[in-house]
Amino acid sequence: MTDYWLSKLFFDLQHDAGLAAAYRADRAAVIDRYEIRPEVRKALLEDDIGILAPRVNAYLLRFYFQIRGMPEAEFIAKLHALDASAKMKAKGVANG
Amino acid sequence: MAELVGVFAACHGPLIARDWDVMPADHRAKLAAAFDEIGKRLRAARPDLLVVVSPDHWVNFFINNLPAICIGVGDEHDGPPEPFMKKVYPRERLKGHAAFGGHLLQTALDSDFDPALSHRLRLDHGSCIPLWRIGVDAKLPIVPLLVNDLEAPMLNIKRCLAWGRLLRQAIESYPEPLRVAVLGTGGLSHSIGETTMGWIDEEFDRTCIRHFENGDETQLEAFLTSELPRTGNGAHEIRDWVIAHAAAGSTGFELIDYFPSPATFVGAGFASWKPVATVA
Repeated sequence: MTDYWLSKLFFDLQHDAGLAAAYRADRAAVIDRYEIRPEVRKALLEDDIGILAPRVNAYLLRFYFQIRGMPEAEFIAKLHALDASAKMKAKGVANG
Repeated sequence: MAELVGVFAACHGPLIARDWDVMPADHRAKLAAAFDEIGKRLRAARPDLLVVVSPDHWVNFFINNLPAICIGVGDEHDGPPEPFMKKVYPRERLKGHAAFGGHLLQTALDSDFDPALSHRLRLDHGSCIPLWRIGVDAKLPIVPLLVNDLEAPMLNIKRCLAWGRLLRQAIESYPEPLRVAVLGTGGLSHSIGETTMGWIDEEFDRTCIRHFENGDETQLEAFLTSELPRTGNGAHEIRDWVIAHAAAGSTGFELIDYFPSPATFVGAGFASWKPVATVA
């Protein structure tokens, strides 16, 4: 189920370098400018990809964690950890 | 009358730009050779105009306003916004072709198609990585056809084939003697931001290539309709290849190269089609 405001936050972060810098400095303060539900807010603050992934386009999710500053290898490892069978498909990925 | 003089397709994984200088040299050489070959064939076709069929990666559009397909009808487009693109392709503006863009739009509407339009698009890595690597001359006007390949629901494959035929019809009905080439970008299989991220589905890619070679539209449509939901999300960009394929008359496909490219997360595909003249 697409979460509009989560998607909007990710989209805005991708398009506004100033907002992205503010987000890196104080995530909670930026999140509070959006109508983000409490469980999603918690997932953002805890980098809980399992909660975020079903709610937002996969490309926006990737952009978000790049902007957030997470190394891509760590992002991929977190994704793979969500689904053991999927990890098997992606084996051989350099960073996975 | 205008004439279709060449049809091409190439992958556009962003790591091709971001990691160009740091990827293994032999891998970079393979990618470079395939793009160079397309560049050679494109220049040999002597186009006056290039229609680029590509997705928008959340640059022009968002889920509050998301066209299934959008024609860039402006005289000018903006260059890529991504920092990694500005490094390799620091072009702020790209030349458009308002007259052909407008003709394509009108031809579509007159043929019961309902595209969105834009008088100014920002062309992201999806369009600009191939333009950069192929070495497309800055003076060559670009008409973008941006296809939603990222967010379901998307155009079905049957409709993509119809769009390709429509594009051909628009080219051949344009009243000026323009030489028009078409470039589809993206694919082949890849998986981005989902639990299989990094997966390259070589079996899907090779079957897909066989269907392009075979040229049977019904089989291609059946295969993609059934298999696209089962492979990585990036494979949806095959729609851009399908539009190019149908523009070429669904015949004359020639694979330039294909190899799984873990360094760029994509099944790296490169192709050209020999357009067959339409019998009037």
